[in-house]
Amino acid sequence: MMNSLRKYDTLLFFLFIMPWIIGFTIFFLIPFGTSVFYAFTDAKLPGAVNYNFVGFDNFIHMIDDPIFLKSLLNTMYFVVFGVPIVTAGMLVLAMLLNFNVKGIALFRTFYYLPTLVPIVATVIIWRLVFNAEFGILNAGLGLLGFDKTDWLGSEHTIKPVIILLQVWISGSGVLIFLAALKNVPRHLYEAAEIDGAAGVRKFLAITLPMISPSILFVIIIQTMYNFQMFTEALLLSKGGPNYAAYTFVYNIYKSAFTDLKFSMAMSQSIFLFALISLVTFVLMKISNRFVYYEGER
Amino acid sequence: MNGGQKSSMTAAVSKYALLLIALVLFVGPLVWLLSTMMKTKAETYKVPPTIFPEQMNFEAFERLFAVQPMMWQWIQNSFAISFFVALGAVVSSSIVAYGFSRFATKYRDKLFPIVLLTLMIPPSIMMIPSYVLFAKLGWIDTWLPLIVPAWLGGAYYIFLFRQFFLTIPQELDEATYLDGGNRWTVYARVIMPLSKPIIITTIIFAFVNSWLDFLGPFLYIKNNELFTLSVGLQLLIGQTSQDFPALAAGAFISIIPIGLLYFFAQRYIVEGVVLTGSKG
Repeated sequence: MMNSLRKYDTLLFFLFIMPWIIGFTIFFLIPFGTSVFYAFTDAKLPGAVNYNFVGFDNFIHMIDDPIFLKSLLNTMYFVVFGVPIVTAGMLVLAMLLNFNVKGIALFRTFYYLPTLVPIVATVIIWRLVFNAEFGILNAGLGLLGFDKTDWLGSEHTIKPVIILLQVWISGSGVLIFLAALKNVPRHLYEAAEIDGAAGVRKFLAITLPMISPSILFVIIIQTMYNFQMFTEALLLSKGGPNYAAYTFVYNIYKSAFTDLKFSMAMSQSIFLFALISLVTFVLMKISNRFVYYEGER
Repeated sequence: MNGGQKSSMTAAVSKYALLLIALVLFVGPLVWLLSTMMKTKAETYKVPPTIFPEQMNFEAFERLFAVQPMMWQWIQNSFAISFFVALGAVVSSSIVAYGFSRFATKYRDKLFPIVLLTLMIPPSIMMIPSYVLFAKLGWIDTWLPLIVPAWLGGAYYIFLFRQFFLTIPQELDEATYLDGGNRWTVYARVIMPLSKPIIITTIIFAFVNSWLDFLGPFLYIKNNELFTLSVGLQLLIGQTSQDFPALAAGAFISIIPIGLLYFFAQRYIVEGVVLTGSKG
């Protein structure tokens, strides 16, 4: 009696989670499985009937393409330089917004606004601000005596401009840091003050260790985001002058939809997946030494 | 005493100074957008540029809708898609989360980690495989790839709902069983009515994320009658790249609904971001 009731309940459990099971199977398992399958073929189109198994050929010939290499290097640039800069920017902003002054809520509201701007609109704004001839930035710099810079049209400036754009829309990370800063117990600062510690020392000895789990979290999210950057590079400069903003995912997109090499695009996706997994794993390992969890010990 | 007051005054002033510098950097570009949008086409070519338009005018909007009569259609499409996505997210994710929070079966603890694991999978590696799938299903050039997945349980929202459901005491369930209720009555009559905050958070989040989504509609929709506003604007960048005010007006229109939503529902958006760490 009890047993059959339990079985009935298990059946009900599966009924309730059925939407997720169906969604997980159709939109995750099947595509993931087919993409692994196609990665080892020479299929040119989605659902191609004629294809051959080519083993690891796609993975080996990936690097034959100079643009693939360039896109990989560009993406590494965004990960290696972009992630620390954007994360530090978020932290600085969170600390500003943690000031205990009148009207701070209003400031917080304003800083978060850019995060709510759709990416295409962000790109339009960026094009208006960074326009070489009529942009407000060059006009301002002109007043200070600088020459005009073609921000979006130069190999040297396009990547920094994209990183700057990420700082501009970094409100979500700022909120996460702000929440973490608010959770640092006040008594730690008070104790430090009694011991005579001041600004920078308090920050290094208390704030940083106490919010280190959030820092790790934001760095991982930001790393994944930068590995997958696509829209900014596509819309801001169509991959940039001399492929300077050609990102890895943009290259995958091109392989699939312009060059019609679906199997190659799948292999590249899997390569990216392996790369992201590896980097995330290494980050977690390294961070074990630096991240402080209060619950531990 | 006096010296202490003075130094706290200086501290406050320097804090405001820092906040204002950052404010200019963050709000400046938005002000520049508003300013450009209200200029005449000729004024945008002036060197040095004017921050305040010589004469505020809204002809850019007329030109925008004249150059691109589909604008209205795109706005409506974006609203329709975001509406159905938000509805689906609440219905399906809450039902699934109920399963994951109220059933004492061994399968629950085996399957829930998989839900969380899917949050870690980079979406872009699913880009091409999903496209292949939707092509095989014949869903390319329809809204189905954008809406149907939302009706089959989103991992974030399942997680959020489950967290919330776990805070609702089990005694309420048992009381309902004593009154002759079953699992479904508990979900529909007890749990959901108590879950308004998380329902609202999910509606707003799903709506906002769907409105902000570019990649999905960009990949799956080719017919410009079915475009979302984002994809339409992308087309516009190519078409009217020299008409800065019209472009600015288009960008402005795409920001307004989310801006208004944020204004009225700030608390829920902020909580949602902090809870999920996702982009709002």
